[in-house]
Amino acid sequence: MPTDTKRVRGPEVSQSLSRFICKPETTLPSDGTRADGRNRDQVDVRPVFVRCGLVSQAKGSAYIEAGNTKLICCVYGPKETERKDETDMKCGRLFADMRFAPFSCPERGSWIQGSQEKDLSLMVLESLQPAVCLHKYPRSQIDVNVMVLENNGSALAHAITCASLALADAGIEMYDLVLGCSIRQDGASYLIDPTFLEESGSNWASGENQGSLTVSFLPSLNQISGLQSDGEMGEETLTAGVRTCIEGCYKLYPVIQQALVKAVRGAAPPPSES
Amino acid sequence: LRTTMEVCSSDGFNVTLREFGCEQCLLSRPDGSSSFIQGDTSVLAAVYGPAEVKVSKEIYDRATLEVVIQTKVGLPSVKERSQEQCVRETCEASLLSSLHPRSSLTLILQVLHNDGSLLSCFLNAACMAFMDAGLPMSCLFCGVTCAIASDGQVITDPTATQEKESRALLTFAIDSTEQKVLMSSTKGSFSVHELQECIAISQMASEKIFQFYRESVQRRYSKTL
Amino acid sequence: MAAGFKTAEPLEYHRSFLKENCRPDGRELVEFRTTTLNIGSISTAEGSALVKIGNTTVICGIKMELANPSVEAPNKGYIVPNVDLPPLCSSGFRPGAPGEQAQAASQFMADIIESSEVVKTEDLCIERGKLCWVLYCDLMCLDYDGNLLDTCTIALLAALKNAQLPEVTVNAETSLPEVDLKKRKPLQIHRHPVASSFCVFDNSILIVDPTGEEERLSTAQLTVVTDEDGRLCSVHKPGGTSLSGERLQECISRAQVRHREIRKLIDKVAQSVTSGK
Repeated sequence: MPTDTKRVRGPEVSQSLSRFICKPETTLPSDGTRADGRNRDQVDVRPVFVRCGLVSQAKGSAYIEAGNTKLICCVYGPKETERKDETDMKCGRLFADMRFAPFSCPERGSWIQGSQEKDLSLMVLESLQPAVCLHKYPRSQIDVNVMVLENNGSALAHAITCASLALADAGIEMYDLVLGCSIRQDGASYLIDPTFLEESGSNWASGENQGSLTVSFLPSLNQISGLQSDGEMGEETLTAGVRTCIEGCYKLYPVIQQALVKAVRGAAPPPSES
Repeated sequence: LRTTMEVCSSDGFNVTLREFGCEQCLLSRPDGSSSFIQGDTSVLAAVYGPAEVKVSKEIYDRATLEVVIQTKVGLPSVKERSQEQCVRETCEASLLSSLHPRSSLTLILQVLHNDGSLLSCFLNAACMAFMDAGLPMSCLFCGVTCAIASDGQVITDPTATQEKESRALLTFAIDSTEQKVLMSSTKGSFSVHELQECIAISQMASEKIFQFYRESVQRRYSKTL
Repeated sequence: MAAGFKTAEPLEYHRSFLKENCRPDGRELVEFRTTTLNIGSISTAEGSALVKIGNTTVICGIKMELANPSVEAPNKGYIVPNVDLPPLCSSGFRPGAPGEQAQAASQFMADIIESSEVVKTEDLCIERGKLCWVLYCDLMCLDYDGNLLDTCTIALLAALKNAQLPEVTVNAETSLPEVDLKKRKPLQIHRHPVASSFCVFDNSILIVDPTGEEERLSTAQLTVVTDEDGRLCSVHKPGGTSLSGERLQECISRAQVRHREIRKLIDKVAQSVTSGK
């Protein structure tokens, strides 16, 4: 690996603590309640805390906290395109960048953007694009920056929700909000809005219908703008999974709407006295 | 090309500087160049400009100054970037860059040998190179490094060994008109009194350095005029 | 009208306020913005703190890893501070590798840690020449509105105070380290460095805690770092217009007052965190 000359360097090699922890690996219960008290096979998303307009410098921003998953998203623009050769006279361009803070995961991450972050950025971009009225912003670009401060599972789903909320807060014209929800399919049962351990647990039984699914959904248009699935799932399981995710999105919807209404009320000038 | 070597060491006022040396206009390609020697520390400086500037870096009412520090071996690191910032902002304060709007000035500092007081040597080399390039400046500036030894004694222009043994290391840039502090960069902890003492000593040392500047420029032009 | 004046002639706009000894946001010249602190909000980090000075927000997360000490310093661990200014925090920053400001800030943090000995690297040694701790202190700016260095210093100090070192024993048979996350002890904080930043307007007017716009318009910046004994850990003035010894003394006196205020704030928040457990 080439040495990073633009940051303060530590030792050449250092090892994460997780390699030396002397405790039996915790196994996830394969049925019944989950570690955080939620139930399997129920559309039991973690309660979310949402705020708009926290970042003073951004056109629009949003913060979302679901359990211990904490994300912040800022929107800059619409502004002149940076690369003149890419200027589109008819349609605006959307850029999305999703990053994990180095301290956001149990293992320390690098400052340099990895391939996983690039994949997730692309997924966020593709999920948002159908919802934004880009034809209203010719020759301009809109930047969406997502930063994961703490990752305790379902980061992508919440990033999508957070990003669409920040876009709305920035006053970018959209057809609809975009809500994200993910599930972890474990054989016949599923876990909605999985935590980091549930998402990446190494002790998943091998067998049929093991996988995870993230859906981004436009609630008032009732359309799906993005879908990502990995693992192996049967056709029926997959369609059922998508349906579950949509249900999960509807649970989020009122909370997101309220946060937006609150932000608009706060930004609106007080009613005139006359 | 001629060499102008000048010895500048005196024991008055408790201000001792190592042997100084300076040569201007020793490179043919840049618009201004100098090499500055403080004891065994040696820096080569080159100035390019005023020249055309990249549109992205253009400033509408003054020149854009870029400072690049090249280390003796290896790639420049975060430390060099911090030193570049110090040198750049010091130069910006003394250069009348508003006389060259929408143009670029580039200063390249090459370390030839580091034996302590490197940052002050950068500043001195930069000032001489700007003078050689004939760029308008509101004042001259010089760099002085002071090391506070463990017994509290202040050593000016320390060598690398003296730096290592010291408790604190302070580098100041002093301007030639009012002898005020243009730049300050410190390492280690020290008391307010020690800071004021080091500033006073640096101001005294700066007079000697400016005198050295004058003599070395005089010597350079004495033969051409 | 006022908004137009502000955009067209920002410097004149600021001058008209400074003439009356106040600033556009209603502060006096030597007044800091409201400082808030939140400790331990990131559970994936061994120590964390979120600091807000006015709008400027910095989050610091400390991750601990194990490494071999260097040959030159076999009894010392490592502290690796890095400041990042992602494009998220202001439209002025580009994505990709850190720019000059971020790099200079990283170096400044590294210098403060070394100069003040807030945590002695000797304390991070587990077995001489064989095993030591590495503290990765990652500072990320979430909202940039000036005075980055002050915010970063408070965030770093609070996060270091919050950090807990797990117990490590070296297994005699396998000679591999074993970490017990249950048994933890706090880091020993030897000194409390606190930074105070100043700006010089028009070569003469001194203001504290500059906002982003004030930084852009000012002619010089100065950061003074003091510790609890009133000693100075850093007097960082990267250039700009010159400052006399008397003005410098004013800044130092203000910085010492600020130090006491911040110490109080950190102690108060740290106490409420421990009592809340």
